[in-house]
Amino acid sequence: MQPELLEVQRFLLDCPPFDELNGEQRQWVAGQIKAAYVNEHNVDGLFKQHSPALYIVRSGGFDLLAPDGHLIERLESHDLFGFPSLLSGRAVVNKLQVIEDGIIYIITAAVFDQLRQHVRAFEQYFIRAHEQRLLSETARREGDVTRRGSLAGTANSSGTRQGSAVDTGAAGATELGSLGLSASGPKQEPVASYDALQLPVAEVIVRAPVMLSIHATIKEAAERMRDEKVSSVLVVEGPVAENAAAEGAVVKGTVVNDTAVNETAANSPADSEAAAVKLCGILTDRDLRNRVVAQGLAYDLQVNAVMTQAPATVYGRQTLMDALAIMTQENIHHLPVLNDADQPIGMITNTDLMRQQRSEPIMLISALNKAASKAQLVAEAAHIPAYMQTFAARVHDTTMVGRLLASLTDSMTRKLISLYEQEHGVAPGPYCWIAFGSQGREDQVLSSDQDNGLLLGNGLNDNQLDWFKGLGEYVSGGLHECGIPLCPGDIMASNVDCRRTLDGWLERFKSWTESPTPKALMYCQIFFDSRLVYGNKRLYQRYREQVARLAQKDFFLGNLARLQVSVQVPLGLFNRFRGTESGKDSDLINIKRYGIALINDIVRIYSLQAGIMVPQTLARLEALRGSKLLNNKDNQSLAEAWQFLTELRLQHQLQTWGSDQPKNALDPDELSTLTRRQLKTAFRIIKECQQGVGLKFGRIG
Amino acid sequence: MAAHSSGWRNRIAAWWQRRQALAQPWTAQRYVALDLETSGLDARHDSIIAVAWVELTPPLLDYQSARYYTVATAQTELNQSPVVHGLVSRDLQQVTPLAEVLKELEQVLDGAVLVCHHVQLDWAFLKQAGKAHQVRFKPLLRFDTLTFEGQRLKNSQHHIQRGSLTLSACRSRYGLPQYDAHHALSDAIACGELMLAQLYKYAGAQVVRLPRS
Repeated sequence: MQPELLEVQRFLLDCPPFDELNGEQRQWVAGQIKAAYVNEHNVDGLFKQHSPALYIVRSGGFDLLAPDGHLIERLESHDLFGFPSLLSGRAVVNKLQVIEDGIIYIITAAVFDQLRQHVRAFEQYFIRAHEQRLLSETARREGDVTRRGSLAGTANSSGTRQGSAVDTGAAGATELGSLGLSASGPKQEPVASYDALQLPVAEVIVRAPVMLSIHATIKEAAERMRDEKVSSVLVVEGPVAENAAAEGAVVKGTVVNDTAVNETAANSPADSEAAAVKLCGILTDRDLRNRVVAQGLAYDLQVNAVMTQAPATVYGRQTLMDALAIMTQENIHHLPVLNDADQPIGMITNTDLMRQQRSEPIMLISALNKAASKAQLVAEAAHIPAYMQTFAARVHDTTMVGRLLASLTDSMTRKLISLYEQEHGVAPGPYCWIAFGSQGREDQVLSSDQDNGLLLGNGLNDNQLDWFKGLGEYVSGGLHECGIPLCPGDIMASNVDCRRTLDGWLERFKSWTESPTPKALMYCQIFFDSRLVYGNKRLYQRYREQVARLAQKDFFLGNLARLQVSVQVPLGLFNRFRGTESGKDSDLINIKRYGIALINDIVRIYSLQAGIMVPQTLARLEALRGSKLLNNKDNQSLAEAWQFLTELRLQHQLQTWGSDQPKNALDPDELSTLTRRQLKTAFRIIKECQQGVGLKFGRIG
Repeated sequence: MAAHSSGWRNRIAAWWQRRQALAQPWTAQRYVALDLETSGLDARHDSIIAVAWVELTPPLLDYQSARYYTVATAQTELNQSPVVHGLVSRDLQQVTPLAEVLKELEQVLDGAVLVCHHVQLDWAFLKQAGKAHQVRFKPLLRFDTLTFEGQRLKNSQHHIQRGSLTLSACRSRYGLPQYDAHHALSDAIACGELMLAQLYKYAGAQVVRLPRS
């Protein structure tokens, strides 16, 4: 009778997918294992004799090499390899090189097949791993349907990835996605209300817009609002005015459902009449009170005398997060929703948003917006860290966290600007307040420091320049008081170097791109990720377009590429197998430096080359889809790796909240086996894409 | 007379076979890594409680060959051993007669190298028990991972610190994983792996034979 092999069973339990077996099956497979002590002298003979098979690394370190010597994966304890040959029946072509002697468990093809036949989850795991699509599957199992950036569709799955050694490839080639978090940290229940912030606006519109001709009287407007039981109407120019009297017709004719969002209203015959309207203004209950009754105006005046002209709008395809940002930015409670043909399809109100997502982010942002003084703003901002902690713990799409933090920072910035203007008069000319770096990319974390600057109009005199100097100092000082640390590199509008005219900025960018010293290149990685926070949109657009042109130089991109390639991506996770320089925190892995930042860098260089102007890494990847230079498979892998690492970092930051532990560095010993494999997969993706950058850009210049 | 002569011939044949076997490189031998749980440290007075072993053919350790028997007999004194070995009554429910276990082990050990951590102790118990049950163990050799490690440390002029020759301390020097001690089978496997690590490291790229001690 075979004894219980407790030690091996315990190991297998921590080694997915063997955790899918029941106790009896695990005991059985434990008894079938052959453990090999592998060193450099016996490694070749051993695998000739025992292949194909499934191999599990128990101890030691090994490099899996493609026939051309290219490193596929550095294997450490709990890593699996060899299964692609078992599944495909193709001959084993890869080689194993011993880094450190150790024990490898061998599971024969017969045993492997038995398990496959009897345990579906076991088989599924390997099929997914083999097809490199473990991510989407595991992510779905987490029940997170609305996960942003699930860049579906691997059209180019044949893969031009160099050295794509799928053959004896290692476990979980793309098994990123869901973190194996069940073991550690609080169990996360899906809270729909938090995911709602990323719903398209069109999906939450409850009814068609109530529209009124610009020629209608105030009295007609009020009657209409009473009959429709709405607190606001859209005032339009165009044929809809004819229908206004026929109550219900318009409403029924323009019933919006979310699928119609991307179609023009003209596509639907019923809408054809209402199609050619032009939104001129909005009239609210409040306007009737403040601008009509309180002013003692006659009710037979036309509505255009009292409406708000050219109101802010949002497109139906934009998210509630966007709507929230606009409403808070403009300090309004009603936001008309347009389709892509600029036709009104509905109205979204503060109440709608609150209903959608329990209101906390809105409350926080509107509290910031309502602050009447800097002291009040600082007091409100003090709630942010605690609030973000609960928000982050509940939200499923972690990109929401960076976006919300960016929104909060934007709100504080705008509030500080308006407080400054209240004190010092309006700006003496057009200008833009620009966010750079992580605020620009909207991947801020709570510890992120400020990166901002001012874009000024030309021809300002000293007095006027002083006004902007005061603005820069006031706002960055204020942000600091609100808890956003000053930038140690002084990339802030308080620094005269970061307050420039269009020409002044272009001169800087030119010097960086033409003489790319290491410092200049470092600046490029911050300043090319920019976003307008407040100010003149056209000025910013001009600036952004010209900056983009400066980046499209092979010489510059070549230097940027070489800088990126020089960063060594960790091969293994455990210190002695990592192959990177070891610093004082050498037991820990910095996933920002070697992960998130590197992906940002890789994506940036492709975006600069393509002239893409959006700053967010995922948005850039979306924009790069179909690019000849970056194939769709790598595009998707980068997005998945970025999301995985961002989520991992967030979980780490939540777990170490309030401690003085490093914010971006993880202890591999504290990760689950699955998370470790996923982390290695992420690093492998980064390394391959990094090499791609080197090949495509690095040879020039 | 004839019987005497054939016994003599058998002994010559056995000697010759052993000589031939020992001429083979160490990797060509079969090994049995073994651990006993006993009621004390004195083979004459204390008794065996559990026997565990696993077979190895370098570089493989075969889990299929793993055995673990609880062999408590009537005269076993159980009053102190559970404390020593962490045995619980559950382990004692399924007991196998010692004689049966020894017979199986006799077969397995025949011509194989017996590997233990501190082999003198286990061997003394095995011989004692074998005598009582008319079983003669004929391993090719006895290999002691503890002695080997002690020798190695001495040769490399290490001062041998207290506790540095325990099974777990020896394993950690070879980067082998930590196992839960105090289970005979776990220890037998651990000892077998240690032997592989020791001999592969010692042999390097060379073809090495075991010493005929």
